[in-house]
Amino acid sequence: MNVQFKKGVLEVCVLVLASSEDRYGYELAVKISEKFEVAVGSVYPLLNRLTQEGYFSTYLKESTEGPPRKYYRLTEQGWHHMRLLIKEWSSFTSAVNEIIEEGMRL
Amino acid sequence: MSSITRESYMKELESLLQKVPEPLRKEWLYDYYIHFQQAYENGQTEQEAAAELGDPRLIANELLLSYRVAQAESKNNVGNLSRAVFATAGMGLFNLIFVLGPYIGIAGVLFSLWGTTAALALAGVATVIDSLWNGTFSIGQAVSLGIICISLSMLLAIGMLKLTRMFFAATLKYLQFNTRVIRGAGK
Repeated sequence: MNVQFKKGVLEVCVLVLASSEDRYGYELAVKISEKFEVAVGSVYPLLNRLTQEGYFSTYLKESTEGPPRKYYRLTEQGWHHMRLLIKEWSSFTSAVNEIIEEGMRL
Repeated sequence: MSSITRESYMKELESLLQKVPEPLRKEWLYDYYIHFQQAYENGQTEQEAAAELGDPRLIANELLLSYRVAQAESKNNVGNLSRAVFATAGMGLFNLIFVLGPYIGIAGVLFSLWGTTAALALAGVATVIDSLWNGTFSIGQAVSLGIICISLSMLLAIGMLKLTRMFFAATLKYLQFNTRVIRGAGK
């Protein structure tokens, strides 16, 4: 898949994954890399940026094995941002689908 | 690249982030430290985890980019702003032309206008001194000429202050826009 395309999509995925429950970085990185091929390391800069922009709040929590994990929780602002992105995404994909369907019919 | 280990990966990332203040750098590095840890618990080798994470230089670039723009936002001074411009420009030739070119151009114009302001003030003072020394003008003429020059210079300075502030604000806006473009288009 195209690199530019993936970058934009990554943001939506991260936000949506963290909306159902608080997630830690590794969990998000792995979940996304399972679905499509992405440089896992670039998930963390994205998480940092989204935190900086106020879409995530973070906290540390002890885990049963290993060092404490950093959890990401979606803020009120993050919810707004996510809904906006999902809206953009659906209108974008439906437009692309329409073009594909029309093209295939010919 | 294929035989890269956790230690060498972390070392490289750390050295690339040397310019970032310690607490923030530690926080960023912690993410990757934990990543290796958990990858290990899931049965991945260090090499696999490092390969999956991707080139540390790219990661450092992405981290630094958002950091420098954020820093310029919080501290509106020339040093930070220039650093942010260079960070953005470092991302590609496209930006070298579209950010650095106009930036240096406009900064040059502003600089020379500030020069004009200073020269006017100097001319006012010099007129009075010259007239006292050589009698070029009578005292009355010299003083009023001096006052005119200095007032003009002060007016110009007020305007210039506004212009310079606008320039900083506009540069910042442009950078933020550029960062979004790069994030969208960068590799």
